[in-house]
Amino acid sequence: MNLERLPNEEKLTLCRKYYLGKLQMYVCVWGFAFLPFLWLVNVVWFFKEAFVKPTYTEQLQIKTYVKRSGLGLLLWVAVLTTWITIFQHFRAEWGEVGDYLSFTIPLGIP
Amino acid sequence: MVSLFDSIHSLGDLVKLVTSIQLFLFFCLSDVSCNSVAQKIYVELNNTVPCVRLLNATHQIGCQSSISGDTGVIHVLESEADLEWPLSKGPNPPYMVLLESSLFTKSIMMKMKNASSRVAGVVVVQKTSPPEFSPHTTCPNENTGVYTETYDHNLAHCNTTVWNPRGNGLSYEEFDSPVFSLKEDNETEVIKQCYFDHNRVVNGSGLQYPLCAMQLFSHMHAVTDTATCMRRSSMDFSTSPVMVCDPLGGYNVCAFIRPYNSTAFGHKENESVVIAAARLDSRAFFLEDSTGAEGSVSGFVTLLAAAQALREATQEAPPTRNILFAFFHGEVFDYIGSSRMVYDMKNNMFVIDLDNVHSILEIGQVKTCISINVWTYKCMDIRSNNNESVTNLVKNLQSSTAGLNFSLVETDFSQPLPPSSFQRLLRARAIPGIVLADHQTDINNRYYESFYDNAAHLNLTYPSNLSPEEQLEFVTDTAKSLTEVATAVARALFKQAGGNNSQVNKINADPKTVTQMLYGFLVRSNNSWFQSSHQANALTYLVQYLLANLTGTATNLTQSQCKKPDELPNESTYLYSYLWVQGVVPPNSTQRESFCVRTAVRLVKAVSPAFDLGDYISKEYSTWTKSQWKFIKARIFLVASRDLEMLTLGVGVAVLFTSLLVTYFVRTKADVLFSSVREPNNAAY
Repeated sequence: MNLERLPNEEKLTLCRKYYLGKLQMYVCVWGFAFLPFLWLVNVVWFFKEAFVKPTYTEQLQIKTYVKRSGLGLLLWVAVLTTWITIFQHFRAEWGEVGDYLSFTIPLGIP
Repeated sequence: MVSLFDSIHSLGDLVKLVTSIQLFLFFCLSDVSCNSVAQKIYVELNNTVPCVRLLNATHQIGCQSSISGDTGVIHVLESEADLEWPLSKGPNPPYMVLLESSLFTKSIMMKMKNASSRVAGVVVVQKTSPPEFSPHTTCPNENTGVYTETYDHNLAHCNTTVWNPRGNGLSYEEFDSPVFSLKEDNETEVIKQCYFDHNRVVNGSGLQYPLCAMQLFSHMHAVTDTATCMRRSSMDFSTSPVMVCDPLGGYNVCAFIRPYNSTAFGHKENESVVIAAARLDSRAFFLEDSTGAEGSVSGFVTLLAAAQALREATQEAPPTRNILFAFFHGEVFDYIGSSRMVYDMKNNMFVIDLDNVHSILEIGQVKTCISINVWTYKCMDIRSNNNESVTNLVKNLQSSTAGLNFSLVETDFSQPLPPSSFQRLLRARAIPGIVLADHQTDINNRYYESFYDNAAHLNLTYPSNLSPEEQLEFVTDTAKSLTEVATAVARALFKQAGGNNSQVNKINADPKTVTQMLYGFLVRSNNSWFQSSHQANALTYLVQYLLANLTGTATNLTQSQCKKPDELPNESTYLYSYLWVQGVVPPNSTQRESFCVRTAVRLVKAVSPAFDLGDYISKEYSTWTKSQWKFIKARIFLVASRDLEMLTLGVGVAVLFTSLLVTYFVRTKADVLFSSVREPNNAAY
């Protein structure tokens, strides 16, 4: 989808949709689960619109959405990185709990 | 039009190319050998025996390689001092150390274990036997016998008698590099030739690449301990779960002289049974290489001969008590077979229970029969009849040796029992019994539980001019001594079971059977006598069919009747099992005279009760498991130096980037480069 061809109000609606994650009514459950990815898409896709292009009426709202998406994304990245580091480091020591939390367990190493 | 013809031509070329590729692949995949690149690089080693990983409730032992194999430059070790080269002086680590069997000692292996960054693996070439070598522990099965801390502190953990003082415990160490074993044959010659051509040090230094290297694959799936690997085996989420480890075990071979209904478990009223026991198994550092000539074969061959000797006497005049011949499997790994039988007896899962057991006679290691020591377990409780039974047993045994060429020495009361299945039965109940062995305090087996405990160690020597068939029939001295022991055991069992004393002197073991069994189990199993029983390789099945042949009766049933004998009026699968025996080839024909034998021999599952109970950290039962693996192989090839590899990689990356740059420039300047070559579009059609 090429953003250049859309009128500005539609751009705003799209940005808001990605921010809120309400892509479709019956997908809103998945929207909550995939929020970090939706927020990443929001930031990357609308970055040029929000900060680089010359000002237009809807741009202020688009800017707030992009900024909030960016913050949410950073928070998620921090949380996931911490959890992944801890899990990879301590899974072997946690024994049974570590095995129950794993989906695939490597063979031959603790 | 021109372009259309061009495209048709190129299509034709493409079809030709595809067909030729298909033909090439067809020939390569079929039996016609094609010169694939892999065959020119690698030499596969086929006859290798790896060291595998075993786990129990607390430890993992054995060896592990990395998942993509461990590669090392081959170094043939000449002496212990030569270890400096792979450990510190050699310029091309990691090394794959090739040892002769005389250098396979604990000190060398420990030094290599500690330097695992420089030693990628060890290969042991079996050549000459060292003067003594026992990789087992000094106190075998110390935690699962009858002498525990609670029973008697002085006798536990071999405080009084150390049974295997030569033991260096190498089999119970953990190595994180692969260890393989090779026999001295053509493959070993190829390896040594490769080493001499490429890896020899010339004038003290200056090894030139390419060097000869070996790669060993023996990646084991299980890790940490039995509880972890059993948990991981049962919780895999994928559609085809990966089994990570298997419990060790096998089958016990059991035969009553008067069989019971095999579906009726539990106590049998007014039945009294004498158990004659021996162990079947043995182990070595390399698990598949175990022979156990002195340690276990001597014992169970004696019992098999005794079973044969008793056959006629018990059929003519059945004794009052029944006799159970029990051959236990898995005894070396914390008494798997005997603990299973005791568990089954206690939980009404066996045809008799512990109340039915009158006494036990166990045959341990009986290589030399000059004096056989009798251990009797004098139980500590007040009931006096037990002591009487034990004295009776010894008396029966002593009187049975009359006229035979050896003597029985009763061991001192303060001496504990050696590691034997009897200990496991005693743990459950104080049953009177005897263990026969040819040693007093020290097992006196230089190669206890190692792969040198073979026919030569048992002094099985045959005159050199005999063919294999003649060797099979030749009665060695060892066979003669074991026959004497078997005769004494058979007579003692007959008397112990209440048989008629007048019949006793007719019971004699057959030296021909004994020597044939020794030849078959220790020298060559592919002989005519074993082939006539069953074409099996596994020890358990060989013993089962032998026992069936020696104690069963031949019947006239056909092969199909033999598989379903219940339809016949006189046969019953509740009491007997029917086995189809191959039979001998008569001199004038090529067909074997097979027949159906009716026998009371049964195979009883011998897996540790800990796995039935789900108690993988049990201190009571054996928890040994063996890891699974995907494949195990070894190969040798030439390696180039690291610098050459990096250079090749660098050149490739440079070519990649150059081509990208060139493509980019050509693309941006396309209109300048190609404008003069462009054809006018309005060519005539």
